[in-house]
Amino acid sequence: MAYDRKQEGGHKVAQANRPDYRLEVGRAEVPVGEPRAFAVLDAARAATLTAWVATLIPADGDRPDAGALGAAEYIDATVSKVPSLRPALLTALDLVERIAQTKAHKAFAECSTDERELLLREFQRDGDADSFQMISDFTYEAYYGHPDVLASLEATTGWKGLGPMKGGPMKPFDPSLLARVKALPPRWRKV
Amino acid sequence: MSAEPRADVLVIGSGASGAAICKRLSDHGAKVVCLEQGDWIDRARLPKAHVDWEVRGRRHWAANPNVRRWPSDYPVGSEGEDPIDVYMYNAVGGSQVGFAGNYWRFAPSDFKVKTLDGVGVDWPLTYEELAPYYTINEAEIGLAGLAGDPCGPEREPLPNPPAPLGRPGELLVDAYEKLGWYWWPTEQSITTQAYRGRPACDNRGWCTFGCPQGSLSTADLTYWPGALKNGVELRTNARVREIILGSDGRAVGARYYDQDGVIREAHAAVVVVACGGLGTPRLLKMSASPAHPDGLANSSGLVGKNLMVHVQSFATGQFEQPVDGWRGTWGGTVSTRQFYETDAERDYVRGFIMSGCPGWSPLNLALQIAPWGSGHHAAFNERLNHEISMYMCGEDLPEESNRVELDWDHLDAFGMPGLITHHALHENSKRLGKDMIAHGRQVLEAAGAMSVRDFGLAPIWGWHLLGTARMGTDPKTSVTDAFNQAHDVPNLFIADSSSMPTSGGVNPSHTIQALALRCADHIWEKRRDW
Repeated sequence: MAYDRKQEGGHKVAQANRPDYRLEVGRAEVPVGEPRAFAVLDAARAATLTAWVATLIPADGDRPDAGALGAAEYIDATVSKVPSLRPALLTALDLVERIAQTKAHKAFAECSTDERELLLREFQRDGDADSFQMISDFTYEAYYGHPDVLASLEATTGWKGLGPMKGGPMKPFDPSLLARVKALPPRWRKV
Repeated sequence: MSAEPRADVLVIGSGASGAAICKRLSDHGAKVVCLEQGDWIDRARLPKAHVDWEVRGRRHWAANPNVRRWPSDYPVGSEGEDPIDVYMYNAVGGSQVGFAGNYWRFAPSDFKVKTLDGVGVDWPLTYEELAPYYTINEAEIGLAGLAGDPCGPEREPLPNPPAPLGRPGELLVDAYEKLGWYWWPTEQSITTQAYRGRPACDNRGWCTFGCPQGSLSTADLTYWPGALKNGVELRTNARVREIILGSDGRAVGARYYDQDGVIREAHAAVVVVACGGLGTPRLLKMSASPAHPDGLANSSGLVGKNLMVHVQSFATGQFEQPVDGWRGTWGGTVSTRQFYETDAERDYVRGFIMSGCPGWSPLNLALQIAPWGSGHHAAFNERLNHEISMYMCGEDLPEESNRVELDWDHLDAFGMPGLITHHALHENSKRLGKDMIAHGRQVLEAAGAMSVRDFGLAPIWGWHLLGTARMGTDPKTSVTDAFNQAHDVPNLFIADSSSMPTSGGVNPSHTIQALALRCADHIWEKRRDW
């Protein structure tokens, strides 16, 4: 298309070397939960991203972590469809790997969950906050769009995750509830 | 270039108003052609037809055209002190394809804003003049609700019963009763029972993500089937570049690009522009000519000015018990107009409505409140299905400085200009908004909320884009007359959300369509003048 624009902060055109993922992502229709292999990331970076997303949303009870649900592959598929987002992702992965090597003296994916959380908080604070937000947003999408997560919500929250797909009967409105209001005087101006 | 045989009426835009005009005129027997720059919605691609509906709603279904970028979209920039996050769809059915279905009549006082409250302008027509068309529209779309609300004039029985309250609605009714306030089941453009071949709502909720059931009354499902049956010719993927004038100064048709980018013309005795609050001023300005150097029908200089969007916000309360928030219509099952009319005790004029909705869906909620990392699930679990939201909508006053302009630096796919919106909240709107949010919080607390958070007044949600070619009695201060007929071009009509001189404090779809039906009847009654 013939335009690129940032919505936040007024009328600005995105810089050619740093497009706004919030706008670019509209072009990437990536169904959640479909099995897919990495297309953009090599094995090492794929491992880093899988560990990253698992740290953002860890496992809890019946809910797996985001890495186990394919969030890294979802992000990879997104940047595959929107190549302009690849530099931000690759740079972020390489930077967090350097931080891990410097601080923990091992690969990010080999760090414990607590170590990874500390490293990511440092990256978020001192590294590239916008890239971090992009990975975080896409991870949340991959997680809360996944049928396994939606199916698991009912046990802990009562939310029927597939209810919005199926619907069902509800108690009809009871007009007797309006008895008091019906007795009130009109509340509108005659003109 | 190929021209077509002359139709009686050419309608540009197939959304809420264009669809209603096409159906009404063709009911009367007029030969109508409609040009729509978008296409039919592929219902198999509606987000709600898929488990990952929330994600799809952020991508190809995104309401902001700068994100979605369908082939029919054009760029829209946002400028000003309070920039607008524009929500609109370019498709058969227009922006209704992504709406929630709240469907209000204006109050009689909404038509006399200047006379009663000394701000804005009066409409060139009264509630009583529009009321018969509200009634026709309610039958066409299958309005759900209940007559008898003491916050408005007497009504005929409505076609369908109100939507079920659900647990959120029940808690809010308890709150209103405790507070002693007026409340009423919200009128919604949803078929709550089988109606004219459309099925009853099955309470899947989250209506703005598309209604696979087909119970949400969007214009592609309400007016268009009948219009097509009547013989209206709907040309999709037809991007209009300009309205064509004859040597006598009358409109003779429109010049447009078809889906292959080939220039074509459509001719008619009457031309109706129904492209919405942004699309209409865009087309009128693109139709500038030596006789109309500032844009067609713009001798007043008001085309593109007085853009209004409503003062809107949400307040969300957290409850100890589950609220069954996963089901039920999303647009709010119970509403109050307690604060709709001007009250001298308050520090602003005009007013607002509040509608109670279920809380937020999983992804939306997680993005709002669930931090990443070890605390994620605890924060999420304590709020999902434990929240109720109050949607609040108040009147935004017309100001010439709030406007849209062509943006020749950012073009659509066929080289036509985008738009830039300029918007700042009026001081009255800021005071109204502050009070509106405080009352929204008050209701939730009365309903038993343990805590309440609100969304303030930023960003400005551009769900309702109004007023940019307003109607009036004086050609110096309005673009059309009371029947939507352009002051400057006798056989040109402008009938959509841009026609509204003031915004009222309610969702505008019903009023937009009632005005459109009234315009259609006027065109038909005056057909001997064509």
